[in-house]
Amino acid sequence: MLLEVTLQGVTLGGMYALVAMGLTLQYGVARIMNLSYGELLIAAAFAALSFYSGLALSPLLGLLIVPPLAFVLSYAIYRILLQPLVRRAKTREALEVDSILATFGMLFVIQGIMLALFGGAYFSYSYLSFPLQIAGATVAANRLLALVLAVVIGVGLYLALTRTRLGTAVRAVAVDPVAAQLVAIDVRTASALAFALGGALVAAAGVLVSMFLTFNANLGVVFTLKALIVVIMGGVGNLLGALIAGLILGLVENYVAVFVDPGLTLAATYAIFLIVLLVRPQGLLGRAGR
Amino acid sequence: MLEVAHLSVQYGKHRAVDGAALAVGKAEIVVILGGNGGGKSSLLKAIAGLQPPVAGASAMLDGRELVGLPAHLIVEAGLALVPEGRGIFGDLTVRENLLLGAFARRARAGEAQNRARVLALFPRLAERLEQTARTMSGGEQQMVAIGRALMSAPGILLLDEPSLGLSPLLCGELFRALERIRGDGISVLLVEQNAKRSLAIADRGYLIENGRIVGSGIAADLARDPAVQRAYLGAARPG
Repeated sequence: MLLEVTLQGVTLGGMYALVAMGLTLQYGVARIMNLSYGELLIAAAFAALSFYSGLALSPLLGLLIVPPLAFVLSYAIYRILLQPLVRRAKTREALEVDSILATFGMLFVIQGIMLALFGGAYFSYSYLSFPLQIAGATVAANRLLALVLAVVIGVGLYLALTRTRLGTAVRAVAVDPVAAQLVAIDVRTASALAFALGGALVAAAGVLVSMFLTFNANLGVVFTLKALIVVIMGGVGNLLGALIAGLILGLVENYVAVFVDPGLTLAATYAIFLIVLLVRPQGLLGRAGR
Repeated sequence: MLEVAHLSVQYGKHRAVDGAALAVGKAEIVVILGGNGGGKSSLLKAIAGLQPPVAGASAMLDGRELVGLPAHLIVEAGLALVPEGRGIFGDLTVRENLLLGAFARRARAGEAQNRARVLALFPRLAERLEQTARTMSGGEQQMVAIGRALMSAPGILLLDEPSLGLSPLLCGELFRALERIRGDGISVLLVEQNAKRSLAIADRGYLIENGRIVGSGIAADLARDPAVQRAYLGAARPG
């Protein structure tokens, strides 16, 4: 029982971690506080659903198609809608206010389109929904696959950002955008790429989530909030922190839901968040470049 | 090498730099001397593309106009700035700072040699490659900043008060490093308050006051000039 609940919690935590890593890229590097972030996750889940039930394409194929589409879409949104805000903002605070307002509007546009296409009903599909036995615990095959893929994507991204020159350059923009220019980094392009990469990550998470959770067009804001909590808990701009905080949050939510009361899940989430904020306001691992 | 003309910088109504003109030759060390708020930092920032100058300015590097280029392309053109406060990536390691120094396309071919040269110039960096830059001493951080700038394979290096906050011992080490950089054929333009030390290694110097260049000359002559001695080399300011 404990192992089953733990595995479920780790899977959920893996999703949170992916989503938080993407938001850290958008907020930490591109300096955009994106309130429509979770809508993209749900849009990706709907895309995976449509591919699966409409075209009989496996979510694994969806994982190869949807994130690149989200990358292109996010890149366009940044260049067309958000870069004018970046250009005119005199301070980082001014940009924060502007980007919150702009992406708040975007939230309703994306959500409205999804409501028009799919209505407000809950959706799910059945993919690899047979049980597997692991050390005596039973876990759905789709959950396990989602966890493995989340780990592969998360670790891959972490290595790309810490072990390559291009990834290091992306982190350098988060650390000091002025100094980044002094080493020949084109900060505007790097920001657009980081924003697009964040969009691709949340879309990947959306495809994975759709494999084992039911979802509807209004669920995006839940993921935006969780992502924000995880990012702040882990330390803004800190990828490892996002990973650890995401796992903690997923585990605690599942333990509380199963062993205490499902109604207390959100309360537990915010209790941990408050404790971290009070004890370590800079986040679990602090604000760091890795 | 570098020729600056008609360069002015304005913040609102305040004119920080007023019609500056200067030249730096190949493998030459040129120092700009001036007090606080004299417009020295604004001048360097404008040349490096961090601060847009007033229209009409020109900064030619090997015959190529830099004014109007974004900062990252000025680095590609061969000019590297070590800004005031050093501007290193404090959250990243020394290794990562040097890696990013060679981000410019022009720096890729000679990266291995440049790295070896930087580590020979500052052996302490070789021992501290995995250290997070912000946890290092002021002198070591200055080495990271200069090393990072050299990794971009510049033709000319601009330094904004590199000796600020360094002990006399580290200061000496720093200025000896600048002489060795000149020995490698790289031009150096530095802004300093430490007149004695900087004039001792410089080839030529400019004097800047309230944003205007008010004098210039061979470094050795400037060091002997009574007016310069009164203004910058007074007994109250041991160098």
